[in-house]
Amino acid sequence: MTRGARLRRLGRAGRAVAAWLVVFALMLPFVWMVLGSFKSARDFLSYPPVWLFRPTLDNYAEVFADNAFPRYVLNSTIVAAGATAIGLVLGVPAAHALARWRRNAIGVVLLAARMAPGIAFLIPLFVACLELHLVGGYTSLIASHLIFTLPLAVWMMVGFIEAVPVELEQAALIDGCSVLGALLRIVVPLTRQGIAATAILAFIASWNNFLFALVLSNDATKTLPVAVLGYIGYNSIQWGPLMAAASVITLPVMVLALCVQRYIVRGLVSGAVTG
Amino acid sequence: MLLAPALAAIVAVMGFPLVYLLYMSLHKWSLIGTAAPAFVGFGNFAALADDDRFVQSLLRTLYFTALGLATNLPAGLGIALLLNREFFGRGLLRALLIFPMVATPVAMGLVWVVMLDPSLGIVHYLFGLIGIASPPLWLSDTNWVIPTLVFVDAWMWTPMVALICSAGLAALPVEPFEAAIVDGASAWQRFRYLTLPLMMPMLVVAAMLRLMDLLKVIDIVYVMTEGGPGHASETINLYNYLVALSYGKVGYGAAVALVLFALVLLATLALIRLRRAA
Repeated sequence: MTRGARLRRLGRAGRAVAAWLVVFALMLPFVWMVLGSFKSARDFLSYPPVWLFRPTLDNYAEVFADNAFPRYVLNSTIVAAGATAIGLVLGVPAAHALARWRRNAIGVVLLAARMAPGIAFLIPLFVACLELHLVGGYTSLIASHLIFTLPLAVWMMVGFIEAVPVELEQAALIDGCSVLGALLRIVVPLTRQGIAATAILAFIASWNNFLFALVLSNDATKTLPVAVLGYIGYNSIQWGPLMAAASVITLPVMVLALCVQRYIVRGLVSGAVTG
Repeated sequence: MLLAPALAAIVAVMGFPLVYLLYMSLHKWSLIGTAAPAFVGFGNFAALADDDRFVQSLLRTLYFTALGLATNLPAGLGIALLLNREFFGRGLLRALLIFPMVATPVAMGLVWVVMLDPSLGIVHYLFGLIGIASPPLWLSDTNWVIPTLVFVDAWMWTPMVALICSAGLAALPVEPFEAAIVDGASAWQRFRYLTLPLMMPMLVVAAMLRLMDLLKVIDIVYVMTEGGPGHASETINLYNYLVALSYGKVGYGAAVALVLFALVLLATLALIRLRRAA
């Protein structure tokens, strides 16, 4: 082996090692969260921090012993499922129409929606909900989450529907199918995977949303991101239960995200109204 | 035929709140007390200039955004370059990279609060290991709180920049690089005169996305510092939330929200312009 080739091989190995190190450093908060969730209060308060300890399930037991917590899991699920389902039912026909006809104008509208701060929607929605006595109900929460699940669904589905050959639909129309029939019998079955990916992305966006739920929910309809704040008080932090609750909230999202790994960036680019 | 109901739904969901927001911004409108909303024209907008807390939060947000862009883009491109060549476990590392950006931000913000704790946190301990016994107090230090929040934000979103750059690197043409190697260009020269200019369009896309979200940052600030210590980490979006929904001044808050929206819009357009000009 020449000296140059050996150097190059060394450089390549060095790069791989660096990549592993960087990604492992990025995973540290997750490792620390899961480890912390199994630590007893005593292990949590020991300094220097301990990596090896006798794991305990007490923190999870404490989180779930609080009767309200399963309720919050249910709330998050109801709101995310509702906002995802309605977002898709409205978004798929819109995406179909946009994919088949002009879509530039609506693209601009959706881009503007991506840029608008969540608070710009939240202030008027809150006032409207106050007047309609809807604050605290699932209706207002689901409706508010549509503000990001709907554009996300439209944006993602336009791409998937464009990949379906238009000739298939034309053939169905000639055979006497209605436009709605062509959509339901041709487009929807052919974009099943895309619909599933879109649904998962919308579900994640809704599950993670904090600000809308903070303002529009009450004690009974609180979602998990709002509820987890309860573990951090002005003077005291319940370390172990906080880490256990954080693990319970984030792990489902991470598993779902792995299923749609290929589409994550596209989903974030098009959908998430952050802040 | 299907277009009509679908578009009507989009307009109702997205359009109605924004029109109502515009209407509110022209009124003196408080949720506290019984006074009816009163039309004040552009009075709310005029009052912004004299609102010191607003001006400070605006400047702070610009600082946060500049710091965020300056860290996210180079770090993201760096990670993408590390992942560019095939090696053992590359697919796994790419899959792991999606975790910081999908994990519930509020929950991860609180995990970072625990990690950054000045007496028990692991960050403090790690600094001790490299010989810095008394690092800054991070979230409780008025000078360090913004850089610390930028760091946590960068932890969440740099992987997204990396994945966008990664897609860009994979699509680069091979020939110019082969020609450069034949001509004896060094690795640095290839990066500086080929990779970087060819990656510019992708970097602008990443910059645009980060710009939009950095200007709007609120979730992690709310849960990690509530804008403190004092107002040292109060971003414009957080101030907006407090004014409108904690203090109930929704008319004034609507004006702040419109300014923030305009800021994001103008900054994004300016970036697109810049790309066209280049």
